[in-house]
Amino acid sequence: MTLNHHKAGQLLSAYLDGELAAAETAAVQDHLMDCAACREAYEDLRVTKAALGQLPPAEPPAEFWAVVREPAWRERAAAPARWRWRLPVLVRRPAWAIAAVLAVLALAAVPMIKGTVDRLHATEIGVDLYVREHAFEMSTEPLTDRAYLGLVAGDADLVLVGEPPRAEGRR
Amino acid sequence: MMLQPVRARARVWQALALAVGLVLLAAGVNLAAPLPPVSPERVLGMALEAPRLIDYEGTKVITVLRNGRMETVTVAESHKRPNMLRLEYLSPEDVAGRLIVDNGTSAWHYEPRVNMAFEEPTLQGALLSRDQTLLRRNYTLTALGTDEVIGRQAYVIALDPKGAGVHRQLWVDRATGTVLRSEERDPSRGVVLSTYFSRISFSLNQPEAFFQFRMPAGAHAVTLRTTEAESMSPADLERRVRFPVLIPPVLPEGYTFRGGAVSHFGSLTSVYLRYSDGGNLISFFEAPAGSIGWPAFGRPVRVEAQPGRFIDLGYFRVLIWEQRGLRVTAVGTTPTETLITVASQIAVGREQALVRAVSRRAEIDPGTVRRLRGEGLTFPEITRTLVLAQVLGTDLPTTVRFVKGTLTLRGLAQQMGVRPEVLRQTVRDATARASTLSPVTPAAVPAPSPGR
Repeated sequence: MTLNHHKAGQLLSAYLDGELAAAETAAVQDHLMDCAACREAYEDLRVTKAALGQLPPAEPPAEFWAVVREPAWRERAAAPARWRWRLPVLVRRPAWAIAAVLAVLALAAVPMIKGTVDRLHATEIGVDLYVREHAFEMSTEPLTDRAYLGLVAGDADLVLVGEPPRAEGRR
Repeated sequence: MMLQPVRARARVWQALALAVGLVLLAAGVNLAAPLPPVSPERVLGMALEAPRLIDYEGTKVITVLRNGRMETVTVAESHKRPNMLRLEYLSPEDVAGRLIVDNGTSAWHYEPRVNMAFEEPTLQGALLSRDQTLLRRNYTLTALGTDEVIGRQAYVIALDPKGAGVHRQLWVDRATGTVLRSEERDPSRGVVLSTYFSRISFSLNQPEAFFQFRMPAGAHAVTLRTTEAESMSPADLERRVRFPVLIPPVLPEGYTFRGGAVSHFGSLTSVYLRYSDGGNLISFFEAPAGSIGWPAFGRPVRVEAQPGRFIDLGYFRVLIWEQRGLRVTAVGTTPTETLITVASQIAVGREQALVRAVSRRAEIDPGTVRRLRGEGLTFPEITRTLVLAQVLGTDLPTTVRFVKGTLTLRGLAQQMGVRPEVLRQTVRDATARASTLSPVTPAAVPAPSPGR
């Protein structure tokens, strides 16, 4: 299994988390061996995730408490008074505490990971995107050959949707 | 007496044979006769007008420099006036079956190997008078005689840029004005693109439905319109995107601002500035440096000590560099040295110093110079505009239109009520004076050295 630059970029996060099948894992590893840009992105992603893992538990958003408090209030009504006042809700319900921390971390991590993947994607397609736009604009030059411009724009279309470039498409 | 009818029949046959002989002789003389001399301007005019007047269907062979090798592509090309186009790529194998159907407003590209159809902008840009003006202003036209292409007589003309760029040669069909063959020659690498029709038929009654795209069964449709249609000045673009927009201070002779737009792809937002000399284009794309990484291919270069990457795609060249937190990408067919020199002029970042220099030399307030920069004019164009406005007594907007090619010399002469020949000489003198006032000149952009 071989990967192009764009596909490898999409799989990096899952690769880091050990969520890929064996064949995909091997393919990503092979690609990382060859591709300096992906290695750099992988390293960025690894450092980001490691940093996120060391963050102290964050305060959940207000909406979260609205959801948590209602069932807690119902339980409090049924529970003995000594339990109700001596232990905070999150200590009595560790699963809730873990969920809250995970929710906050996920909210913080998604834009960061998405930003890295977008940047990788932009790296992969940047040249093709700009050459494609240049080709369309060239079509307004009266003596340019349209069939040639169609060839260039068509090749770039494929790269923009994640398909590998035509043979000899890169130098 | 019996011989009379026989003699009469024989005379009739002799007369017929003579007539046929004369017709054939006349046809032969006509074919062999040299074409009457036609000015290269007239031939160019025929070539520019032909798509609006002529329908054709033919097989075109394209040979193009692609990543260091010449690639040959064959395509069945159908054109219906004024601006409908259908392209069916036949070879090589990796493009065989690709179809582009363009109705003059938008185009569809169908790719059989992935069963996907892409909706995108038209490839049939309208012929604008500005392009014709710039083309005639910035290229030297030469008649190279006549030639025969697939049995048809053609006028051959050469278009050589006055600045740096590719040289074109066109074989223009005598009867229809259609370009039957073309060659683009890069001074450093020889022929980079050549096209010719191996077969062509004219005046066919091609149905319009042939130029309307029909989605193949099960095809996945994708809309790829990445550039906004609205054309904006650099000043407007800067207000829109909220990052600084860099305007080239100087470009090769003849290139002028054609338009600007915002380009979007995913989360990547770029500013797109295009400069044209009527025959070629240089595009500049600017995006925040953090939003796009370096490509994994290309040759590392330095642009005014800034890291850059040069990518030679063959016909197109791409130069990428970073400055002031922006990633700038220039795309064009101009020689490598020219592209790097233009990039260096941007990267050196002397904008305010140049504004002050022009303001001082042309004795005009810096605000006016900045405003003209915001309209995309280079510094040599600004000095030319200011000197011309002063000498001719025209207002700045009219003078800018003239400098950018949207107003012809004839049109300006008409507005001013002077003879075009008189105005031409005045403009020539004023342009020469302006070039001495400009702090940077197109001459600073070197012509390619022979052998490079």
